[in-house]
Amino acid sequence: MKAYNVINTRLPRVDARAKATGDARYTADLSMPNMLYGAMLQSPLAHAKILNIDVTAAKKLPGVRDVVTWKEAGLVKYGVSPARYDEQVFCSDKVRYVGDEIAAVAAVDLETAMEAVSLIKVDYEELPVLLDIESAMAEGAIAIHEDFPGNVSAEVHQEFGNFEEALKECDIVRTDRFTNKRQDGGFLEPQACLAQYDLNGNLTLWSSTQSVHYVQRSIAMVLGLPVGKVRVVKPYVGGGFGPKAAVNAMEIAACLMSKRTGRPVKMLFSREQVFLHSRARHQFFHEFTTGVKKDGTIMALHNTCYLDGGAYSSFGIATIYYAGSLLGAPYRLPNMKYDGYRIYTNKPTCGAQRGHGGVAARAGWEQQLDTIAAELNMDPVEFRLKNMMKTGDVTCNDFNMSSLGMQECLEGVRDGSNWAAKKGKLPRGKGIGVACGFFVSGAGYPIYRSETFHSTATIRLTEDGGGVNLYTASAEIGQGSDTILGQIAAEALGVSLDDVMVHSGDTDFGVDLGAYSSRQTLMSGHAVKMAAEDTKRQVLEALSEQLGVTVGDMDIAGGVVIFKKGKPDFSRLRTLYIKEHRGWEDQPSGAELTFREAARVAFITRGVIIGNGAYKPGELGGKYKGAAVGTSPAYGCSAQVVEVTVDEQTGKVTIDAMTDAHDCGFAINRTNVEGQMQGSLSMGLGEALFEEVRFDAKGRVANASLGEYRIPTALDMPNVKTVIIESDEPNGPFGAKEVGEGAIMPTIPAILNAIYDAVGVRINELPVTSERLFAAMKEKQKK
Amino acid sequence: MLLLPKFDYEEPKSLPEALAMLSELKGNGKVIAGGTDLLVNMKKGTVRPACLVSLKKVEALREISGEDGGLSVGSHVTISEIADSDRVASTFPVLARSASCLGSPLIRNRATIGGNIVTARPAADLPPALLVLGARVELRGKDKDRTVSLDGFFTGPGTSVIETREVLTRIVIPSPPPFTGADYIKLGHRAALEIAIVAVSSRLTLDKPDGVIVDARVILSSVAPTAIHAVSAEKALMGQRPSEDLFAKAALLAVGDSSPITDIRGGAEYRRDMVNTLVKRTLLKAFNDARDMKGGNA
Ligand SMILES: Cc1cc2nc3c(=O)[nH]c(=O)nc-3n(C[C@H](O)[C@H](O)[C@H](O)COP(=O)(O)OP(=O)(O)OC[C@H]3O[C@@H](n4cnc5c(N)ncnc54)[C@H](O)[C@@H]3O)c2cc1C
Repeated sequence: MKAYNVINTRLPRVDARAKATGDARYTADLSMPNMLYGAMLQSPLAHAKILNIDVTAAKKLPGVRDVVTWKEAGLVKYGVSPARYDEQVFCSDKVRYVGDEIAAVAAVDLETAMEAVSLIKVDYEELPVLLDIESAMAEGAIAIHEDFPGNVSAEVHQEFGNFEEALKECDIVRTDRFTNKRQDGGFLEPQACLAQYDLNGNLTLWSSTQSVHYVQRSIAMVLGLPVGKVRVVKPYVGGGFGPKAAVNAMEIAACLMSKRTGRPVKMLFSREQVFLHSRARHQFFHEFTTGVKKDGTIMALHNTCYLDGGAYSSFGIATIYYAGSLLGAPYRLPNMKYDGYRIYTNKPTCGAQRGHGGVAARAGWEQQLDTIAAELNMDPVEFRLKNMMKTGDVTCNDFNMSSLGMQECLEGVRDGSNWAAKKGKLPRGKGIGVACGFFVSGAGYPIYRSETFHSTATIRLTEDGGGVNLYTASAEIGQGSDTILGQIAAEALGVSLDDVMVHSGDTDFGVDLGAYSSRQTLMSGHAVKMAAEDTKRQVLEALSEQLGVTVGDMDIAGGVVIFKKGKPDFSRLRTLYIKEHRGWEDQPSGAELTFREAARVAFITRGVIIGNGAYKPGELGGKYKGAAVGTSPAYGCSAQVVEVTVDEQTGKVTIDAMTDAHDCGFAINRTNVEGQMQGSLSMGLGEALFEEVRFDAKGRVANASLGEYRIPTALDMPNVKTVIIESDEPNGPFGAKEVGEGAIMPTIPAILNAIYDAVGVRINELPVTSERLFAAMKEKQKK
Repeated sequence: MLLLPKFDYEEPKSLPEALAMLSELKGNGKVIAGGTDLLVNMKKGTVRPACLVSLKKVEALREISGEDGGLSVGSHVTISEIADSDRVASTFPVLARSASCLGSPLIRNRATIGGNIVTARPAADLPPALLVLGARVELRGKDKDRTVSLDGFFTGPGTSVIETREVLTRIVIPSPPPFTGADYIKLGHRAALEIAIVAVSSRLTLDKPDGVIVDARVILSSVAPTAIHAVSAEKALMGQRPSEDLFAKAALLAVGDSSPITDIRGGAEYRRDMVNTLVKRTLLKAFNDARDMKGGNA
């Protein structure tokens, strides 16, 4: 492998100091002179006609500056996929879930705004409440959206190869069902925003978001402003995991009220509102029929899935496709059929969450594969090794494995966990399980049909040559992208990370689709690398003119200019620099020409040096309907071994150890890769054992707090052994691809398979609470 | 958004001053200790005191001391102080164990033993252990002081015999008889930050290491409106020679003594099954500790 100075290291994050000291400012920390506070009225009913909205009393309350409903906001429809724009800022005709937005108030303080909200009087006519798929699809059920009778928000039917034909060749055919539960994003920072509409008609929105670009476009569209008049800025963000990838009604309401009042308006979600807004993981009901030959060759899969979508579409159209398309791989599967149905219900809207669409599918199918391996009397690792794809393979749905270190991942966890010494040899109550995972490295297409670049980047050198300013609209949301992009810029330009100042998360810095679909390292990374190379070329060209050395004979690395064919005399340039900096202490010295000196020469001869980069994926496979969801320039893969102890008298599962291997192509920052692996595992562990958003009979969230909605604590996490696999992705910058989401894929099934190994029961409904497992063991004993 | 309502705040420097204040406030005042229950309830709007009287400057309430082989714990001693106290660990390890089950380290650093008792949550972690230890609580008012047994303290979920003008000042645990052992097990979902699905505390006293049970206490928590004695289990254990069979029989009786409901944390059937499991386990541990004890502590 090539030797690098900055990447493939364990450099500390660029935001480490700010975050460790509490200096990092999040949206809720922001404040402006004259600022108003906003609050929203959200529906207390899950399904009702709105007969009348009376805001008179709210408007009269002293301190109130604005009250807005659909009358002020208008009826523009928006959403995530243009084909399913089904949301309005405020409801006009009816409310579709508890939490649907009806009105907003801006007042001099939060207490007044909240009191005013309580004074808004809404007359409703209650409608039947449809809380699950069965009632929503029942004959004669009322349509939650008039345009969608039957409440089917989206339907997908795909077949690759020929499933029925392939079954004829199979010796084992199994059908199993699986369901997860609606999850909450569980990020620590609730959504927050601050909008400021200035006297010149420019709108700036600071918001806790994963995508400044999508928010900018949505706000411009809904409020009828030119995109150029809307700037969206993302301060530090405390996690997103998907739900913050699209605009929310609060952001639009804040902008609207700032425009109307001419004053900054700040709005915050409470934790309960985070649950009500949701846009997090759907509940999926899968049925898998899988056919396998006696030699263990996986031949065919028919996957049927019903998704409980909630009241609106959000990212759900992508979700329904992902719930089908992410299966098969990483195994060679020649025949795959998929039928998906996303159903509207009167619950908060579901959307994207880490491992978008694929997590439940993966969990259920990997558990089924484990059962099949047992029926075949094959070791589950061997069974998987036999079927997995290799670099260069193409899936039946036309995904190109331009790199795939699946074998290395499986072998890594097998050896790392000491599988051979444990599998089948542990005492009762202790178990070991394995599973694989697979994910896109960035969505191949933007969420709206467009020829747009997915990421642009700009580098501007300071005039003294000392600083490298990187501008990108990408979103650091805690995952570490500022560090990764800074490292890529530093490496490609030949300087150290300390020389790079990363300016990110601002639509003024360019276009970037944001932090979702595990795209930024690959896509923003490409743009940054190009910008750095462009910058380097300009510096070297300027130097070439001064020194008479051709550009090709020079390079920049480690902060100095490398002369490949002997060092020319650059004393004139050094003298010039030193003269210009009389009185400075850290003058360049030594035998090498420094980057600083070179950059200064470039500035003096050419003006400000600005390098640009812009990336969009090249031609991708798949010409069938829906191919846009799942095709990606690269794919990450992973394997995991989990060891558990089951307390048979209580049903309690303790995760004793996790060994995780992930193919991230190339680790730009090894510590960050491990951080993503660990974080994915903890989120998967939570979904496997604890997490479930619950509702009462009226459609109200019954556990809208982090007390009763349980994300894992540090004590629930075992020590994790991480194995980084680097398959050198040809379509990634420096060979890098995703780790942010794919790493969650094997966690749940590996836990389920380990539980089976420990106590011999298969659980096909999450979460595996002690109560559910205890009941299953009791049931088994009865038989 | 849950906002804290407006209220006055006082920090009296002595107990008499605090008692006078509470008396003057006539029910509009409320004691605040760690605030980990009270402030949450005030945000939710379920209690609206006009004035909070903090006891943090009253030094006398922050002491743990030994008393004739027993223990006296000031009401303002924090849960982490109890969990980490060598004195508690060596005299009443079951109390330290129950303290270390409460909330998370952050909560334990603020929460107090007095608050955990007065708040009278059905799932509170310290009362079961304190009940098997036969604890009494000292209640002081401006004009009258009284000591009540914890057994007679709780009257329902969130309610107890304490009056608004009274302050719980200390918890007194009598010295244990020889050959006594106890245990507390809390069953929750996560490893921390859990409200018990079921919790059980048991204590056994033997007449001699290989002798019969002369005192048995079994407390069930989260399966009734308050922590309760499993009366029939206790009765069945008395005078008997300890054995796994005996404990299994007692556990089944304890299931009958419980009246769990189905709520968001667990179903009634599962809770009954868990009473069975946890009673057995706590009795076994209590017995082992009692037998191994060279006489002296629990
Ligand atoms: C995140 C979280 C997790 C929790 N987990 C647990 C848990 O696992 N187990 C558990 O048992 N509890 C738990 N609790 C509840 C709470 O922390 C405990 O009940 C704690 O012991 C309360 O003590 P405090 O000092 O904070 O009481 P406060 O909130 O200050 O007071 C509670 C009540 O007692 C009264 N009071 C307090 N001290 C006195 C006194 N000396 N005299 C008279 N009245 C008094 C107050 O007026 C108030 O009504 C949790 C709370 C939170 C927020």
